[in-house]
Amino acid sequence: MNYPFWNIPYLGSGWVIGLIAIFHVMISQFAVGGGFYLPLAERKALHMTDPKMRFVWFEQLVKHSKFFLILTGVFGTVSGVGIWFAIGLTHPEATSTLIHNFVFGWAIEWVFFMVELSTAAVYYYTWNRIDEKLHLVVGWVYAGASICTLIIINGILTFMLTPGDTWLAVAGTGNEASKFWFAFFNPTYWPSLFLRICVCTSLAGIWALITASRIDGDKHTALKTSLVKWSVKWLVPSFVAIPFLMIWYLWMVPESQRALLSLGIDTIGAGTFSIITRIALIIIVTSATIVGVAYFLAYRSPRDFNLSHAVAVLLLALIATGSGEYAREMLRKPYVIGRWMYSNGVRVNNVANLNEHGYLTKSEWVWHGSGAGELEAASSYSRGEAIFRGECGSCHTLQGYRALNNLLAGRDRANIGNFITMLHENQMYSPYRRFMPPMVGTRQDVEDLSNFLNAQVNPPALRAQKTVLTAQK
Amino acid sequence: MTTKTIPAPPKTAAGAVYDWLDERLGLSELAAFARHKKVPVHSQSFWYYWGGISLFLFIVQCFTGVLLLVYYRPGVEAYESVRQITFVMHFGWLIRSAHAWSANLMIFAILVHMFSVYFMKAYRKPRELGWLSGMALLGLASVFGFSGYLLPMDELSYFATKVGLQIPMAIPVIGPIVASMLRGGPEVSEFTVQRFFALHVVVLPALFLPLLGFHLWLVQRYGNALPPSEEAKPKWVRKSIPFMPNFLRKDLAMWLISLNVLALLASVFPWALGRQADSLVPAPAGIHPEWYFMSPFEMLKLLGNVLPGESGEIAGILLFSLGIGLWVLIPFYDIKKESGQRGRAAHYFGLLAIFALLATTVIGYWTIR
Repeated sequence: MNYPFWNIPYLGSGWVIGLIAIFHVMISQFAVGGGFYLPLAERKALHMTDPKMRFVWFEQLVKHSKFFLILTGVFGTVSGVGIWFAIGLTHPEATSTLIHNFVFGWAIEWVFFMVELSTAAVYYYTWNRIDEKLHLVVGWVYAGASICTLIIINGILTFMLTPGDTWLAVAGTGNEASKFWFAFFNPTYWPSLFLRICVCTSLAGIWALITASRIDGDKHTALKTSLVKWSVKWLVPSFVAIPFLMIWYLWMVPESQRALLSLGIDTIGAGTFSIITRIALIIIVTSATIVGVAYFLAYRSPRDFNLSHAVAVLLLALIATGSGEYAREMLRKPYVIGRWMYSNGVRVNNVANLNEHGYLTKSEWVWHGSGAGELEAASSYSRGEAIFRGECGSCHTLQGYRALNNLLAGRDRANIGNFITMLHENQMYSPYRRFMPPMVGTRQDVEDLSNFLNAQVNPPALRAQKTVLTAQK
Repeated sequence: MTTKTIPAPPKTAAGAVYDWLDERLGLSELAAFARHKKVPVHSQSFWYYWGGISLFLFIVQCFTGVLLLVYYRPGVEAYESVRQITFVMHFGWLIRSAHAWSANLMIFAILVHMFSVYFMKAYRKPRELGWLSGMALLGLASVFGFSGYLLPMDELSYFATKVGLQIPMAIPVIGPIVASMLRGGPEVSEFTVQRFFALHVVVLPALFLPLLGFHLWLVQRYGNALPPSEEAKPKWVRKSIPFMPNFLRKDLAMWLISLNVLALLASVFPWALGRQADSLVPAPAGIHPEWYFMSPFEMLKLLGNVLPGESGEIAGILLFSLGIGLWVLIPFYDIKKESGQRGRAAHYFGLLAIFALLATTVIGYWTIR
């Protein structure tokens, strides 16, 4: 626990990553799918026999590639770097583990990323300036580089859910990188890769509908009809394959985590992860709606398909993608790296050590005051606050998202103490074991955290204490 | 000379069934009517969808309501049965949540529909009965909401119903009798639940469904009204699309979007169930009626501050009744499109109504914080 804790009141630091990541995924997966859409559309236009139609198709593709360049090159890249900042601050321990294992993987991804960015710019700026076939080759180079970035990042993302037994056998020995390929091609790698490719092709079609919807259907009926219909077809592979891929993906997820999906079938109990079931329902409804709207409004009447329809489809896709990413994150609970590191950054093999020596033993970010009476209480409060930020802050806030003030409301000091003790003991029968890390630390740590939480939940106690959490060393 | 007759193509099973039904029900005539029916297209066309959205949400409520009926037990077991639906039955929480959210969304959609009809002047001849039946439907929808709110019999619904029944209590002479009849006794109890249940699932649907049919028939008969700005244009400039399939397709897309909004709200914010109602414990702080009753509730409160005692309550009821009366009778005041002065007065009256509703609702929520 050598890192300072990044405290984001109300929202929680997890949501900072979440919001940036969902925004990024919407664009980066378009960058991959669109990477294939553009050269394939260009190839289609090149084979057109009607010169007028061919001309208007090219004209539209130039507009679409400009939109593509700006969206992916500016918003995609900035949000990608934003994720790096956010995960480094929110999950320093997990980020450290990922870097130690995948530093070369990431380096390779950055090479492809540079190729991707360069070719996207070259592709747009060389329309009608270089030979048609060479221009198409540039498009294919872009497509190849962009899918390579997905192939690499998918290995790292899936590793966090299912690192695999081979890597876990060497985890913590200092030789983790020797099992790079086992960690990379982990159990959920292939279903996740195909799932993401399907989402990429869908997003390519959906974003293309945005630009196609702006064509005046009365003036350019043939162009709009052909482009809208062609773009809708990009949604077909995913809606045929995704249900099967999803089953494959879930099949590869450990049973204990898969069980989280069914928690919310019969309850909405607060403090449990019943939200995952509800999120899964949203994915099903929004995906089905996208199919319906794309078919009835776009494919069946392409001429009338306008920007507001296209934006509605895009928003639905945003909800479906965001929900999917949220559910994937939740499925990892109680870990941030499956069976190796809990969601609060505590390594599974370090629990016994922390229970013996204390959670804050190596922390430089808390005041260890000594004395009696008020001073002792203030010191306990300070340590309790640091433990809250370290052990609970990854997933909870005091007031706001998953607010402990609400979840513990109605409990007195003894009750809060019992609850924390239950989390600390983490017995097999504990209902929280499935989705929450154990509370680690000594008996004194349990008391400190209980005191701090009691002071928040039962405010009169707060008046007797002082907030003294400052880096005093 | 011999003549050859071309054999008719073999009929599919679906085609044969359609023919059979067509012969008896005249489906082709209906289809031809729908094809020839036109819907105007202009900058305010968006508001045409809100009636359809309200209808869709009502259908959702019928469907989820019937499912809830399977497990709900009125009377003393009301709370326990809702607890089981919410925390024990598979996806019971979803059905209940969808039912409650669609009820709220429907009232919101009806209000939007009502104000759009009002400002488009769609209540003028020959659509007066459409306006009146629509207002009656809104009134019934409010009673649906009020009666359904108590059925879980948790702390919040119990005390909110007690507060809500203060509104009819303020009506002079008949108020206390009406309130007592609704309660089934001096206090809100399991007898009240039984009465509200009967009202909610038998009496109100029996009134609502035929009225809804009448309203929809009027809509089909007279079609969509043009807003004054569009009516002022020459006929050849106005645009329209066929009802079937163009408008219907868009209407269904709006239904799908409404379904998504509903699914999102019902899943992310599932309808909670509080503690079991206990008449012996004091009312928790911040008890208030549902949002669509907040405005009359707040008006009564505000007038009660100005005129303390019974006179304030009576003045409040009278003022509110007068406002509603004027609102309902607007087609008989703003009759002709040529009469600019009355049209403008009606327009300002509409703006005033929106302002009063919003302001009192905001004040109501602000003061309970």
